[in-house]
Amino acid sequence: MDIVLQQLVNGLTLGSVYGLIAIGYTMVYGIIGMINFAHGDVYMVSSYLTAIAIALFSFFGLESFPIIIFGTLIFTIIVTGAYGWVIERVAYRPLRNSSRLSVLISAIGMSLILQNYVQISQGARQQGIPTMLTGAIRFDIGDGFVQITYMKLFILFAAFLGMGVLTYIIQKTKLGRMCRATQQDRKMASILGINTDRVISSVFVIGAAMAALAGVLVTLDYGAFDFYVGFIIGIKAFTAAVLGGIGSLPGAMLGGVILGLSEALFAGLISSDYKDVFSFSLLVIILIFRPSGLLGKPEVEKV
Amino acid sequence: MSQETGINIASSIKDTIIAGLLALIVFGPVVGILLDGYGFETRFDDVAWIVAIVMAGRFAISVFVQTEAGKKFIYRQLIKEDGVTVTAPDYKSKMRYIIPIVIIIGLIAPFIASKYVLTVVILGLIYVLLGLGLNIVVGLAGLLDLGFVGFYAIGAYGLALGYEYLGLGFWSMLPLAAIMAGVAGAILGFPVLRMHGDYLAIVTLGFGEIIRLVLTNWTEFTHGPNGVSAPLPTLFGLEFKRRSRDGTPFHEFFGLSYDSAFKYIFIYLVLFLVVLAVLYVKHRLTRMPIGRAWEALREDEIACRSLGLNHVLVKLSAFTLGAATGGIAGVFFATYQGFVNPSSFTFFESALILAIVVLGGMGSTLGVVIAAFVLTVAPEMLREFADYRVLMFGILMVVMMIWKPRGLVRVTRKGFATRKGVVK
Amino acid sequence: MSNTVVRKTLISLAIAGAAFSAQADVVIGVAGPHTGAYAAFGEQLWRGAEKAAMDINAKGGINGEMIKLVKADDACEPKQAVSIANRLVDSDEAVAVVGHFCSSSSIPASTIYEEAGVLMVTPASTNPTLTERGLPNVFRVCGRDDQQGDVAASYIVDDLGAKRVAILHDKDTYGKGLADAMKATMNSYGVDEVLYEGLTRGEKDFNAVVTKIRSVDADVVYFGGLHSEAGPLVRQMREQGLTATFISGDGIVSDEFVSVAGSPEYVDGVLMTFGADPTSYAAGKVVVDEFRESGVEPEGYVMYSYTAMQVVAAALDATELDPIAASDWLHENSIETVMGTKKFDEKGDLTISDYVMYEWDDKGKYTMLNN
Repeated sequence: MDIVLQQLVNGLTLGSVYGLIAIGYTMVYGIIGMINFAHGDVYMVSSYLTAIAIALFSFFGLESFPIIIFGTLIFTIIVTGAYGWVIERVAYRPLRNSSRLSVLISAIGMSLILQNYVQISQGARQQGIPTMLTGAIRFDIGDGFVQITYMKLFILFAAFLGMGVLTYIIQKTKLGRMCRATQQDRKMASILGINTDRVISSVFVIGAAMAALAGVLVTLDYGAFDFYVGFIIGIKAFTAAVLGGIGSLPGAMLGGVILGLSEALFAGLISSDYKDVFSFSLLVIILIFRPSGLLGKPEVEKV
Repeated sequence: MSQETGINIASSIKDTIIAGLLALIVFGPVVGILLDGYGFETRFDDVAWIVAIVMAGRFAISVFVQTEAGKKFIYRQLIKEDGVTVTAPDYKSKMRYIIPIVIIIGLIAPFIASKYVLTVVILGLIYVLLGLGLNIVVGLAGLLDLGFVGFYAIGAYGLALGYEYLGLGFWSMLPLAAIMAGVAGAILGFPVLRMHGDYLAIVTLGFGEIIRLVLTNWTEFTHGPNGVSAPLPTLFGLEFKRRSRDGTPFHEFFGLSYDSAFKYIFIYLVLFLVVLAVLYVKHRLTRMPIGRAWEALREDEIACRSLGLNHVLVKLSAFTLGAATGGIAGVFFATYQGFVNPSSFTFFESALILAIVVLGGMGSTLGVVIAAFVLTVAPEMLREFADYRVLMFGILMVVMMIWKPRGLVRVTRKGFATRKGVVK
Repeated sequence: MSNTVVRKTLISLAIAGAAFSAQADVVIGVAGPHTGAYAAFGEQLWRGAEKAAMDINAKGGINGEMIKLVKADDACEPKQAVSIANRLVDSDEAVAVVGHFCSSSSIPASTIYEEAGVLMVTPASTNPTLTERGLPNVFRVCGRDDQQGDVAASYIVDDLGAKRVAILHDKDTYGKGLADAMKATMNSYGVDEVLYEGLTRGEKDFNAVVTKIRSVDADVVYFGGLHSEAGPLVRQMREQGLTATFISGDGIVSDEFVSVAGSPEYVDGVLMTFGADPTSYAAGKVVVDEFRESGVEPEGYVMYSYTAMQVVAAALDATELDPIAASDWLHENSIETVMGTKKFDEKGDLTISDYVMYEWDDKGKYTMLNN
């Protein structure tokens, strides 16, 4: 019993991270219909930025945990946001009128560039950061126990806070309205006076910022990363986005949590060898019965 | 673009400064601060260089787009051409002369080329096959398949495992692997074909990953990450080994001294002929009703269905044929490498094959051939840049897409003359 | 247009082939993952080999000729290993190769070296299959996974007296080979594992597996894999309150293991099998000091790579640069290296296995266990 509950806790934290990264995929897909393959690597860059920020803070003698966390978050989100903007400007905007496949190839190229640029500038070493927050809450259940570390609580809290802020931005602010309008009909939106290029840029910045949030949280928790971490987590997050219905914000979060939970439960109760086989099979099965994902709008098609 | 002529230096300088600031934000931390354990070292001179290069580049571009040539370039980027050039009815392609020459060169080449060049060309030809296979699925039928590597793996493992468990050699596995991969394509295709564009993409991606993961995890059958060795092809039972286990090796039969290049020459020749055959088949297919149906379906599915095309059958045939070609490529890959393990069939490989198709020009056969060679030969030539190899490869992909988003070679179609004497 | 593209491609191919053929020195390839996820190890191989070549050249080279090293990158991919091996023997005309690193690269590449009669000495590939296939030209200056597994298994059973052992591996040739070797020996001692699972390489979240280890109540966790996964794994174990002893192989030998684990306290008490400290030999003291003076810590495989280069040089020197004779010579003679005297058996493995247990302490350093 305690084991199952513990696996649920594991899956929930993992899933909320997937969800945060999935937002970047889903927003970009929603607005320009492209799979941003470089998004996983933007997350990877944010891991490096986290470590750099922490190294800088400790160099200047700042020790207090809240200040470091807060400073790291701001620094990482700003710089990662700049990455999102630059990537869109350099690799995607010139291809605005080309076929979606060309943009996809450009994105794959961008992903290779990011990985290797980081590898060259930071070396191929495994990187780590010192442990920042230790300790855990422990619940005794029967003979066993379920525990959740403070760091994991912080991840859950921050992830849902990030989601909340994002939902507010999209639903209530002017920028959000412009995003939604552009998503609905880009041509119409620009006729109505919306600078769609700028909206698309800001979507990339928001997506990158969410990836940065995930990057900071994961890096603080696991403490380990290398230039290759973006790939696997990127594929998983993309799977989560599709699972939840690509283009849908709550779908991304839901897909992330479902994917995280199912991975943890399958690995924990059956076999971790076939964990990934299970997640991908789950995806295939859901898509066969619900071809637009869980919360996606079914495409209307007339013959 | 603004109407005024002449070059506005002030705005260029503004652009340059903004670019410099962005470069500072983007490259500053990652390049300038080198993590070392939990501490760091600084390398601000590198950052300064990068920022200077970015600013110079931005300034050059900014000035260039204000010149006449630059404006023309931008204009060409903005207009959306359709992807097909239609030639005049009596147009005779120069390919008539080129193709026989290429074939003759291709047949002579292995006897002159060094072994290293030969192996690179073999790899290039394998990617030509893969590109042709995926081109049917993506280029012609317009189905975005990100898991093509799965069929490639089926072919490669088919040879290795077929040899290990059933004693089947190269020649029996070549058709069998094509059938196996084709059947796998059909099985996968059937449920997923009612999905649209990117959902199809992710499901196929999942399929490719599932195949690789099963190959990794099912240790009892596939030997997992340790891989399996694959047999070499034989020439009427003659083996290309230094010492043959049963029978005479090739070089003894012909009284030659042993040279390990023989096997590569032989693989090359077989592969070259297979590629020619596939090229021919594909050339004919695109002119047959089924090929036309693929392309029509790619352009407008709804219209096709309302005209009574069986879209499932049409898509399925594209999937199956593409997969079978991938399977053949897998067999050659396994025999060329003599050893297969799951790490050769990662998602990156699928992306590379897709890059070949898109870079070559969707649906263009010639483009695929060229792109396959560019993408397999380029990394080899970039070896001298060792550390920067993959980085340059990525830059090449992005730049190529920006420069020629529709690929290197445009699809050409022969025009039809209206028949004379038809009653109106 | 298409015409010129084809022609250009062919021409550039020819150039690529020709560019390497004009060399007079003794060409020795250093093959390993110089790019990709394992580039750190490639760097270790290169550093060791480079220094060895410089030292040998300073003493007059091999048979009077200077060593010229060629960096050959396989990125730990078998496909690239085949291609690069062909380039080394064909275009670079290498007579010997120090490498590769990953066993999955060394195995396909060794066939090509055998056919070309090139001597291959790997400093790091420990998979048994490599030398089990009876290739005369293949040698290794490191141990074998099964020897390593034996040492770990007997330590777990005899010294720790463990009854509940969980075995994990990273599903790769090296990691799984290690885990399987250790499992086989342990089972032969009459101890069965309580858990046998694979992790996905490249992931960092192993909480699900850790919880599973908790559920089977293991008192020893054996991990076959590299530090990139071992670090987060041991950290997450400790965070979930597991106190089971963590044992792994030489794949975690790197200072990075500590920084990846997040804090030295997490690696405290971690055990591993590794060849007797490569920097501890009296014969290598000068080289180790020189390394440290130049600011390079001779960690991991640096000294192994140096040794491999010495082995290659000694064999080629004794046989006047004939790599095939050098292979035979190596099977017969013993060589003095910076890691002591090395002697090879008929398979190309070292005759003496020097695996011992090491323990990490709370300072993030490892020391040999005396037993």
